[in-house]
Amino acid sequence: MGILLFISVLLVAACGLIYELVAGTLASYLVGDSVFQFSTIIGTYLFAMGIGSALSRYLNRGLVYRFVWIELLLGVIGGFSSALLMMAFAFTQGFELILYALVMVMGVLVGLEIPLLMRIVRDRYEFRDVIAHVLTFDYLGALGASLLFPILLVPRLGLVRSAMLFGLVNAGVALWTTYLFRAELSGTRTLRVACLVVLCALGVGMADARRITATAEDNIYADDIILARDTRYQHVVLTRFKDDLRLFLNSHLQFSSRDEYRYHEALIHPGLAAVPAPRRVLVLGGGDGLAVREILKYPQIESITLVDLDPEMTKLFSTHPMLTKLNDQALLSPRVHTTNADAFPWVDSSTESFDFIVIDFPDPTNYSLGKLYTTAFYRAAARHLSAQGLMVVQSTSPMFARDSFWCIAETLKQAGLETHPYHVYVPSFGEWGFVLASTREYTPPVSLPSGLRFINVEGLSALFQFPPDMAPLAMPPNQLNSQVLVRMYENDWKDVSH
Amino acid sequence: MKVGRRKFLRAGSAALVGLALKTDRPITGSFVNDSLQMGHLLRDRAAFPPARRIEKFPVVIVGGGIAGLSAAWRLHKRGFTDFVVLEMNPQAGGNARWGENEITAYPWAAHYVPVPGPKAAYVRELFEDLGVLKNGQWEERNLCFAPQERLFLYGRWQDGLEPAIGLTQKDRDQFQHLEELFAKFRASGEFTIPLELGRSSQYEDLDRLSFADWLQQQGCDSRLVNWYMNYACRDDYGALAKDTSAWAGVHYFCSRETEEKGPLTWPEGNGWITRRLLERVGENVRISQMVHRIAETKRGASVFAGDTEFQSEFVIFAAPTFLAPYLVEGFPRLRDFTYSSWLTANLTLERLPDSRGAEPTWDTVFLDSPTLGYVDATHQSLRTHIERTVWTFYWALADGTPAQNRQLLLDKDWNYWKEAILHDLERVHSDVRQCVSRIDVMRMGHAMIRPAVGSVFSAERRRLTSRHTRLLFANSDLSSISIFEEAQYHGVLAAQTVLDNLHGHR
Ligand SMILES: Cc1cc2nc3c(=O)[nH]c(=O)nc-3n(C[C@H](O)[C@H](O)[C@H](O)COP(=O)(O)OP(=O)(O)OC[C@H]3O[C@@H](n4cnc5c(N)ncnc54)[C@H](O)[C@@H]3O)c2cc1C
Repeated sequence: MGILLFISVLLVAACGLIYELVAGTLASYLVGDSVFQFSTIIGTYLFAMGIGSALSRYLNRGLVYRFVWIELLLGVIGGFSSALLMMAFAFTQGFELILYALVMVMGVLVGLEIPLLMRIVRDRYEFRDVIAHVLTFDYLGALGASLLFPILLVPRLGLVRSAMLFGLVNAGVALWTTYLFRAELSGTRTLRVACLVVLCALGVGMADARRITATAEDNIYADDIILARDTRYQHVVLTRFKDDLRLFLNSHLQFSSRDEYRYHEALIHPGLAAVPAPRRVLVLGGGDGLAVREILKYPQIESITLVDLDPEMTKLFSTHPMLTKLNDQALLSPRVHTTNADAFPWVDSSTESFDFIVIDFPDPTNYSLGKLYTTAFYRAAARHLSAQGLMVVQSTSPMFARDSFWCIAETLKQAGLETHPYHVYVPSFGEWGFVLASTREYTPPVSLPSGLRFINVEGLSALFQFPPDMAPLAMPPNQLNSQVLVRMYENDWKDVSH
Repeated sequence: MKVGRRKFLRAGSAALVGLALKTDRPITGSFVNDSLQMGHLLRDRAAFPPARRIEKFPVVIVGGGIAGLSAAWRLHKRGFTDFVVLEMNPQAGGNARWGENEITAYPWAAHYVPVPGPKAAYVRELFEDLGVLKNGQWEERNLCFAPQERLFLYGRWQDGLEPAIGLTQKDRDQFQHLEELFAKFRASGEFTIPLELGRSSQYEDLDRLSFADWLQQQGCDSRLVNWYMNYACRDDYGALAKDTSAWAGVHYFCSRETEEKGPLTWPEGNGWITRRLLERVGENVRISQMVHRIAETKRGASVFAGDTEFQSEFVIFAAPTFLAPYLVEGFPRLRDFTYSSWLTANLTLERLPDSRGAEPTWDTVFLDSPTLGYVDATHQSLRTHIERTVWTFYWALADGTPAQNRQLLLDKDWNYWKEAILHDLERVHSDVRQCVSRIDVMRMGHAMIRPAVGSVFSAERRRLTSRHTRLLFANSDLSSISIFEEAQYHGVLAAQTVLDNLHGHR
């Protein structure tokens, strides 16, 4: 019986650590600020464990019986903790309250486990052996869990199912205990039924995790997280729900695979198809290779220079099978030259000229990104335009961030360029806007590459029409020393409930 | 019993988020660019080697700070190149010197120039030369990027440096009252830059009392108003309001247009201007040449540096004027030249410390700190992603007398200042010790002229600006306030006078 008992200790320890990690990771994803989340969650959890340990002295009789119940409770609460937290984030205002309440409850239960176990086995071994064995397996379990979690569980199972899996482990330990200690337990029947109920519930949960998360679908990370990574530059999250793959950078949606073709066709073709005999193209930002995929539809193009800050992004989109499928292996094309560099200094130091320049940066949510939306930047970029060249700028939503959109257009104007703003509808984004800028006349193209799903010649001119609710507004230009856009953008989106 | 597991959890989780439980990183650094020793040689009238060589230049410029280099710029621009600039330090620039490491260039002292108004014609001309002013437009990249300034008070940040949080009605009224007074002074056109173009006797009486007394006369007893006024005096003059002439205090607030954008700044601060000037006149600059004697001769003056006698027709004295009695034979003692002591430090940061959620700004100031906070050298970087940076930390030693503070600078070792600086920063950036890898400290005993009471309208000062001799003074301290525009103005004017007279000769 000895070794079996200590394996329980190991499993129980692993579960305890996993729940804590799940809570910390989830809070970091959803709320951000991982240092803060982990610190406070670990603190609360440890504190609660202390309470659990202290409370253990009040349990005097029926230790095994109580231990089984604690395992079951923990299995249910811990197992469903991740799903519960996602729901809480999606549907309630009190995410933090629920988070810490849950962490407290789990902590107390985990805190009870080891003292109880020690007391249960106390009579079977010498005291010093009890301590040594229990603690050894306790540590081993924790080590195993802490390795499994980032390497296998999160990438393979996602957070929701990882928690449930360990809920199953807790319930399993409970069931097993009823056999190990059948001699001294009364009422084993009821206990075992309870165990089976919990196991079934969690099993169904595991199998149906998709459905559970789908209920929280409206929420950004309610889908399965198939990849979450803090690169040197940003927080990259990839989620999947059925056939919908979504990329988030620092919690901002970059694309949804269901409708990204609308965005990227609109970004590229109205401009590029209007350039006579384009040969060289520059893409700034856009490490996902989706813009490049569209550009590669022009056989006459000889070279595409892609400048993206983050090597992990471009690597991910050249290697991850789901992602290379999405971008048709665009980044692997011999015509594509990828450079990982900060865009502004790169633009300043390069001397090359291009027939088409795509500026596809994340929205100006902070002053650092704001620099890439200034007259100074557009002037520097425009210096790379060939005589017949055109430039297109992703310019956020003219609907939800109307001020910002027209501010970007004005900034391009003040940089000495002619501007041609247009917009399209992308379901996962809403109305989205772009500005074409050039040093010469622009006329919309009369032919397009074949095989496009969204942009067609007949529909082009309509893109350049703005209905009254998105109509031009007089805005100041965005400059390095004013950065009016960042504040404007913040206000624009504050007004949109989402 | 639980301790073991608890520890394990903590360590495991810490590794996961990559933080916590780290010990402070070792911080290296030293005093740098000290000219204290050299200054003392002059003060103690040490024996210098006799001249062994003679060189002849029609014009010798003593001191390669902004004043000296501006004089050189003017001569050069007018096609006159037969001159030499003698600079004591191994690097020219004076208070506009800079440093550089693998992260960025950074300033050692002066770090910005406000967008010059219409009266600062020479400054505008220089900036046109340097491409900073093009067709009436200021180059966007040289204007300070947003967000510019932040003040830390009551546990949080505010934009701008004038306290705006937690003001009582009284505070607000007093700020408002001063605002109105300053608007009137501004409208009078007396408080100009360069100073010399205004400064009629109309407000001379303001120079007879301290700014603190004047504020009191205006009924300003608000703590925040006084903090802010003192901050202004410490920042620009290295002095407290009680040690500053009221005229100078008013000048700080009334000499510039209120709606101006700017200021102009660069990663290396005004070192950028020094660099550009050196690109033009660097060939004429000799570094590590401390002038130790100047003797008037029949046809001009002889300037002695090292073992060389530079025989000249005109000397432009652009070193701090207080040195004149030590260098120029027969020069009378000076009374109206008091200098503030400063300490600056450049801190290398391996990562940005916790800033309580705020985005970095150019200038950061803490309410109620004895220091002036710091300026971020990478703020003007065009990069969007910045991991490491350099902060230039400013500390005007304004409490106590300048003599006491100079002694303090001599007495305390590097470790003392390092701790003092970190202690100040820790109040806001709790993990700063884990971010800083190096602190270099520069001690400046006679850092900048102080506009003490009575010094703005001093007759002594006026006499020294006389341009009828062969020894022309040019240091910014002639203005009684130490700013870039004044240094440049006096430098250019001295050069112009020399040019006029040289031409007269020939
Ligand atoms: C910490 C600090 C911050 C400042 N910040 C600003 C700012 O942001 N903006 C601003 O406008 N102003 C600022 N100032 C004011 C600054 O002093 C002026 O802007 C300007 O740089 C002064 O130039 P100067 O040539 O008159 O004097 P200095 O810069 O003092 O130049 C005098 C030069 O003479 C040399 N010298 C001295 N003795 C001898 C000798 N015997 N032989 C040869 N050479 C000698 C010195 O080495 C030095 O290079 C700051 C000053 C300090 C101290």
